[in-house]
Amino acid sequence: MLKQVKAFFRPFERVSSRQRLAAVGLWVGILLLWWVLSALGTRHIFPSPAQVWQGLANLFNEGLIVHIFSSLGLATQAIAISLLFSLLVVYLSPLPALKPLALFLSKCRYLPLTGITFYLAILVKDARTMQVSVLTVFMSLYFITSLLAVLKDIPTDEIDHARSLKCSRWEVLWEVVIKGRLDYVIDVLRQNLAIVWMMLVTVESILVAAGGLGVLIKNSDKFMNHGRIVALQLVILLLGLLLDWGLQTLRKGLFRYSTF
Amino acid sequence: MTNAYQQTDTILHVENVSVVYGAKTIIENISFTEKNTVRPNAQQGQTIAFLGRSGRGKSTLFRVITGLEKPTSGRILIPDYNKPINETGQPAKPVAEGDVGFVNQRYTLFRHKTVYQALMFALRKSTDSEAEKQNKVLQYLADWGLEKVKNQYPNELSGGQRQRTAILEQLLSSGYYMVLDEPFSGLDVGNIESVKKAFHLITSSHELNTIVFSTHDIELAVELADSIYVMGYASSPNDDLKQVGTIVGHFDLKAMNLSWAGTFDARHAECAKAIKAAMLAS
Repeated sequence: MLKQVKAFFRPFERVSSRQRLAAVGLWVGILLLWWVLSALGTRHIFPSPAQVWQGLANLFNEGLIVHIFSSLGLATQAIAISLLFSLLVVYLSPLPALKPLALFLSKCRYLPLTGITFYLAILVKDARTMQVSVLTVFMSLYFITSLLAVLKDIPTDEIDHARSLKCSRWEVLWEVVIKGRLDYVIDVLRQNLAIVWMMLVTVESILVAAGGLGVLIKNSDKFMNHGRIVALQLVILLLGLLLDWGLQTLRKGLFRYSTF
Repeated sequence: MTNAYQQTDTILHVENVSVVYGAKTIIENISFTEKNTVRPNAQQGQTIAFLGRSGRGKSTLFRVITGLEKPTSGRILIPDYNKPINETGQPAKPVAEGDVGFVNQRYTLFRHKTVYQALMFALRKSTDSEAEKQNKVLQYLADWGLEKVKNQYPNELSGGQRQRTAILEQLLSSGYYMVLDEPFSGLDVGNIESVKKAFHLITSSHELNTIVFSTHDIELAVELADSIYVMGYASSPNDDLKQVGTIVGHFDLKAMNLSWAGTFDARHAECAKAIKAAMLAS
């Protein structure tokens, strides 16, 4: 028994699936216990499971589904625009004339959100366009950075292989970089989805007029309704995980050769 | 028994090739000429091996021969078969990207193409009709034992299948010349046999087919090649070894009556010993 317990604390130790399940069960138990304990008393730091359930029911009655679809719509719109823009910039970055532009845009990811929002507010009129614009600008900078890393990691061997098959430089770009790394684009999207998702809620809570999950969080926050806040956090987390799983499944389904 | 053969036109002419990166000279003054070998009653291509210790510039020379890299000085000429023969023979042309097939030791393939798609892609510039190309590819797949895996991607192939696909792809695309950088490196005995068979298939299918390869296995080079070049560091005037790769020895196995023997006997072993000595001295 002691030997089995010790195995859990030895680096790189292989454990059986039953042991793994036991470890997961243990952590879930600790989490639930902590939740119940922290919800005890009159001045508790965490809402009880019943309060969270009640919060979820209230949110549902107040149009949670509509807000979810509003957020998903915003995310889809912003992802589509920023992905198209980023791909164009990155696919053209092997051209020496355009490489500095791609690198500059990548560096711009350190720009603060607030400053950009101010300038965008001058340019766009309605809240929805503003949300899409803010998200597009920021997501593009992250996409460009990740896609440039994918490009940089392409082995010279693959480029030489295409060249030895009489591929022109444009054919090398098409075959090795664009067609040959399509699955990586989905993975980059998946990797950046967490940032996008986090930003989406923030952007929605700054510009409340267009609705969405961010608005619900802001409203719950205003009235210190902890049950609703936690229920919303859980909904957002589960939706994010669902999108992550969906993209992973899509990549593996579309590209049989994509084994990473 | 002597192996009767005749040498005709030049098939590869390397003249004073040097490659310098910044202040570092990698290879210098590399010159050699290989001629077409003709044997009575046998279709015979050329198999040229390059041997040498690590860092002697074999891979750099191969990149220059394949046109993937321009030499800092010197030139590489191959016959231009698109032009008619004139009074001086077949006109020559400087080697360009794609004229010479190149297979690296990792047997790189397009990760997003199946074996069939890769071979069809290799034939994309051919003037044959689509049906002719398909028939040609299917025939090669059958001959090279790749028919069953034609719809598989590189990550689904075994090491041997991957090698054959990479070689075949270059064979279909480049015509007569193929350079293989350490094709036997890290292979098990079965896959070594498979590559040897591939060599035989290539050289026996056309007299102009020319394989240039490098290896660290001296015995294997002696067994397969009909011409072996040893690359090493050239001696400097004060008898030190200058850290620049060049050709330090040539063993013409045809002239030594060691080529196409089908066996590895004591004379081959003697030759391997001489090559090893040349390698160690440079």
